[in-house]
Amino acid sequence: MKALRILPEKCTGCLRCELACSQAQTGTYQPAASVIKVAPLEGHTSYAPYTCVQCAEGWCMTACPVDAIGIAPTGAKEVSAAQCVGCKLCTIACPYGTMFLLPESKKAIKCNLCHGNPACVQACPTGAIEYVETPAGDWLGEFAHKRSAYVHTGRV
Amino acid sequence: MASKRHVIVGAGTAGINAIRTLRQMGNQDSVVLVSGERPYSRMVLPYVLEGGISEGHTATVSPNQLERWGVEMRFGRQAASLDAKGRSIKLDNGDELPFDTLLIATGSSAARLPLPGADGQGIHSFWTLKDARGLNTHITPNAHVVMVGAGFISFTILNGIMQRAGKVTVVEVEPRILPRMVDTAGSEMTAAWLTARGVTLRTGARLKEIAQTGNKRRLSFADGTTLDADVVVMATGIRPNLGWLEGSGVKVDKGVVVDEYLQSNLAGIYAAGDVAQARNLITGASEVHAIEPTAMEHGRVAGANMAGERVSYPGSLLMNVVGVAGLEIASFGAWDDAKAESITDLRPGQSSYRLYRFLGGRMVGAILISPEGEAWRGNDLGMLKGLVQSGADLSGWKRHLKANPLDLKPAYLAARTVTHLMPRTLLGRPSSSPGA
Repeated sequence: MKALRILPEKCTGCLRCELACSQAQTGTYQPAASVIKVAPLEGHTSYAPYTCVQCAEGWCMTACPVDAIGIAPTGAKEVSAAQCVGCKLCTIACPYGTMFLLPESKKAIKCNLCHGNPACVQACPTGAIEYVETPAGDWLGEFAHKRSAYVHTGRV
Repeated sequence: MASKRHVIVGAGTAGINAIRTLRQMGNQDSVVLVSGERPYSRMVLPYVLEGGISEGHTATVSPNQLERWGVEMRFGRQAASLDAKGRSIKLDNGDELPFDTLLIATGSSAARLPLPGADGQGIHSFWTLKDARGLNTHITPNAHVVMVGAGFISFTILNGIMQRAGKVTVVEVEPRILPRMVDTAGSEMTAAWLTARGVTLRTGARLKEIAQTGNKRRLSFADGTTLDADVVVMATGIRPNLGWLEGSGVKVDKGVVVDEYLQSNLAGIYAAGDVAQARNLITGASEVHAIEPTAMEHGRVAGANMAGERVSYPGSLLMNVVGVAGLEIASFGAWDDAKAESITDLRPGQSSYRLYRFLGGRMVGAILISPEGEAWRGNDLGMLKGLVQSGADLSGWKRHLKANPLDLKPAYLAARTVTHLMPRTLLGRPSSSPGA
């Protein structure tokens, strides 16, 4: 199964992935509504994009009381906006913080891998996001740990 | 060899998830579902009250789906008693249903205060579809609606009531609103938000009786004051439906006491959801967690074990989220643990609040309050759940978080929370689509 692989060393923090994502997901250029979020690290001196890992449990999917979240052919957990009532349970059930509610529509929204052609991958000018055959991974853990040494040492 | 027979009592979240799990695991045994009501989700009822969501949308599984699953349906009937030795239950019409395994998933009912007039006309609960219909037809644009109880259930319908009624008063016996969902600072912020939007709050108010005076209901309080209402909504808690188990030998405390396989003290008899008393993930205590996510998890784990698997349940995480007039309020885990260390971030002007509770390097509970436009701008809401659920080690981050409570994301990532979480599944295998 193809998945998004994040190469945080390549991210420059340009936020083009967020813009492209919000356009693909909501039809508007509105980074606040994107489901990929660029994480500032090291006191805003390095960056890395972060999004749903399409986890095996699918905490959002099993939490939904109206079966509004299913598994798409790409393997992505996908919200059916027509089914969603906006109860927000999925947004507290997802332990990755990658399930959102759009205040305008009161519907849940998450990464659906753009049905197999992720807009964030197309938009990234440095190749920091790939869509490749790979098991899901903790792409940012090691990077965030190294780049946050200042927290523990007190030195930037 | 004749197949086994599973009897599921209750068609709420726990019962339906148990059946779905049995079938998703390939179990072909016969299944009988007993329920007074047809399967629907109580989670959807507040949105029906708000409008925009139709009553049909509340259905969780259709009769067609249940037929495809080969479920024998006994709707409109309730379980009256359990004969554990004889391996059968008796229904309220006298029918006997033999079982090999039994799931007790009878949920809970709205509890009314034992007061004169509490059951009178124009006094509504909001728990069942029937309750929702009743309240729906009684709220008029000029009505003064008094909500008795300022807990989670009351708050799930506040939006609908505020949109449709002329005047709203919330009455709470405790000194503050949402006493079991947020701490005092969170209550105060929420109270200020609601007061600014025209809701009248009366806390520390002990109701004594409700009397009918013409078309109005007059509420009298212990301090001698009164309040006149057109519609009264009683949201004063819920009580597990345990009566039918009396004398059955099933061990009951606050609920049916179950082990890590959701099995009661009697072999082959399981309990799940609001009626079950099971392990708390964070504290390890045996508790009733009458929340939707716990009912879902209990139902799935019970279903897997009824299918003959051996699936152990680590426990349920107490969590709630509710929005009122554009303010989102969420809490997780042991946010009220008196022994835990606190990190707070309080921004009254922005109506946002965070509370993180730590035991050592582990976050054991959290509260997040924020205007809805900001609640999902970042990843923090779910990340708090992930930190509490995973028990990731944040000992190196506590000092930083104390100074920068909003810098949660680097802490979450650097603690390898994603690595901790990825292998975790409830049933030891990837979940299937709900329709599969």
